[in-house]
Amino acid sequence: MANQNKKEEGKVVHLKPVPPAEKATPAFEDLIEKLEGRIDRIEKEFRETVHKIEKRDTGKPPLSQNDLSSLIGRLEERIQIVSDEIRSGRLFSDGRKTVAFTEILQRIAKLLSFDAYRDFLKELWFGRPEENYDVDEFGMDPTFIQKVKPLFDFLYYNYWRVSVEGLLHIPNEGRGLIVANHSGTLPYDGSMIGAAVVNEHPSRKDVRFLVEDFVYHFPFLGTFMYRIGGVRACPENAERLLAKDHLVTVFPEGIKGIGKHYKNRYRLQRFGRGGFIKLALRTNSPVIPTAVIGAEEIHPLIYKSTILARPLGIPYIPVTPTLPLLGPLGLIPLPSKWTVVFGEPIVFGPKYGPKDADDQLLVNRLSEMVRMKIQDMVTETLKKRRSIWFG
Amino acid sequence: MRYPRTLMSRKKSNNVPAIALTGTAGFVGSSLLRELEKDPKYSRIIAIDYRKPPFETVKTKFYRMDLTETLADSKLLEIFEKENVQTVVHAAFPVSPPHDLSWAHELVSVGTMYVMDACAARKIKKLIIASTTEVYGAHATNPNFLSEDHPMRGGFKSRFLRDKIEVEVQAQKFAKKHPETVVTILRPCTTLGPNVRNYKTNFLQSPVIITVMGFDPLFQFVHEEDVIRAFKMAIDRDFPGVFNIVGDGVLPLSKVLKLAGKVTIPVPAPVLYPVVQLLWYGNVVPAPPSRLDFLKYLSVADGAKAKKVMNFVPRHSTKETLLSFIGAQRLREINLLEAT
Repeated sequence: MANQNKKEEGKVVHLKPVPPAEKATPAFEDLIEKLEGRIDRIEKEFRETVHKIEKRDTGKPPLSQNDLSSLIGRLEERIQIVSDEIRSGRLFSDGRKTVAFTEILQRIAKLLSFDAYRDFLKELWFGRPEENYDVDEFGMDPTFIQKVKPLFDFLYYNYWRVSVEGLLHIPNEGRGLIVANHSGTLPYDGSMIGAAVVNEHPSRKDVRFLVEDFVYHFPFLGTFMYRIGGVRACPENAERLLAKDHLVTVFPEGIKGIGKHYKNRYRLQRFGRGGFIKLALRTNSPVIPTAVIGAEEIHPLIYKSTILARPLGIPYIPVTPTLPLLGPLGLIPLPSKWTVVFGEPIVFGPKYGPKDADDQLLVNRLSEMVRMKIQDMVTETLKKRRSIWFG
Repeated sequence: MRYPRTLMSRKKSNNVPAIALTGTAGFVGSSLLRELEKDPKYSRIIAIDYRKPPFETVKTKFYRMDLTETLADSKLLEIFEKENVQTVVHAAFPVSPPHDLSWAHELVSVGTMYVMDACAARKIKKLIIASTTEVYGAHATNPNFLSEDHPMRGGFKSRFLRDKIEVEVQAQKFAKKHPETVVTILRPCTTLGPNVRNYKTNFLQSPVIITVMGFDPLFQFVHEEDVIRAFKMAIDRDFPGVFNIVGDGVLPLSKVLKLAGKVTIPVPAPVLYPVVQLLWYGNVVPAPPSRLDFLKYLSVADGAKAKKVMNFVPRHSTKETLLSFIGAQRLREINLLEAT
């Protein structure tokens, strides 16, 4: 025992922040340079391909002129879309706010029209002709995401008016484990963190989030989570995602965090058994501590019944000021103002490596350290907040 | 005569080591037999089943026997010794869930015991066992990709799958007890292709398909050619251990059915289970209600180990496999292709 203590003393935990390389001028110049480089490469490739086709030395059956022109057509189409988006201001956040709002209005208007149902029945019967049948290996469906994105954009820009701080702490490339506080009775915070990165960050589009087991027992809900990029929370899945250099959002508090009483709001619960630290150590990924402010107020939990929930297979039945009282309308969250704060990444390597994942004492200590860091970020941001609804 | 030389050698001596296949009337057994017949490397093949192989054979000696009869182990040992068998491929399993569960238990679990007893007594060099990824079971708590060392949890509801798991447990015990024998267990996932017939092809053939409402799990297919190639690789070279044999990529059930052009009827799970139970008793549906879990939850296996250790790279992805199956199906419907 004494020996172990000694060993533990020797390992003083140091947080090693990632050097903020791109502080003065953000990464945009590099990004533009990179983009130009890529365009050059595409052009070169194009010329080479055409050359090869002329000489017919590809070894494979040669591409026909038709194939090539259709490829160029597709390219032109895409460039047209991007340039349209830039000109209409859709790529900038101010423009996107109005776009998100008008798009949701259009959707609602469409739902009220007869055409929508005719199209729906048509699609149901004949299928969509140009449907992309591919999902990624975890069941994320890009076409489905395109379909539901307006709703999430509406929630993000217009309903909760999410403001984001510390976006520079998200690495431009490579893996990362976003660790955040969990709250809100229903798990909206994962999707909003994802939307924050996808909407605001210049280069990251691949945020995945881990979802609690119980969701997958439910009809519709589990499938929905899979299609929008959620992955069942288990070490195998998370390791696979990180090994492919994704950003992965985890909520180590789990059910205890999301289902805490309103009186305990913004008080972080126990961080599980430190599984996320083991994950970070094994895959050598930086941990990005993240604070979500505002999600506690969307469904203030007054009471929860665990006994009634047990036969349904869910962890609890929530009682909020609106939930059983207003029926399904109670499922509409309250429009609080949200802030998502990304903290400085914590890098455990090279001081701690995959071997240290078996040292439970160290894992618990590191886990507690991350928890305290997020708690500090939460309290600090709360101090700055004047109003729940207006920020 | 296509193989005069090998025929001569067969007549001369029994000292050339032979390969024994069980279940040569089934899909894996018969396809593998065809492959081995073509391969000049193997001069003597022993086929063991209670039905004859479905085609003419040249190098193969057929023994008619039933693995469910008593003292099958002694009979097997007799064959093994007489024919100098060094490699055994055990594939005498029903592919589709059977109605007669006690017969299935006799064949799957007890039959395997007999085969292993004979193998142990003969001290054969190699034992290859055909399993399935269904032994993992479909659960909401499965990881997205099941690796070979994941616990086999398929037997909670299904006695048949419990027997299949029993086979693997026996094989792993056998491998531990007889380290001189190379024991390979191959777990192919749902096998599709132009020729294969099993309960899943029956499921995909019916024009109207009942699904579980609100559930759309990811599916994974492997092409029949790839499965047979994997077995052939395991015969040609030594790969001790368990391997998932799967195609690359996944497809959600809804898109599988759309690609196949089926009309789907989603039914809520609480209604569906008793209905399927009744239909199963009436022999209307191809599978008992315990298999409905595979329409509800995820059961996708990871083929990384086979790729790394066996260097087995599937030639057909999940989608290509499905399309080849659907294509053959359509040709069959308009009578351009012979029915199997």
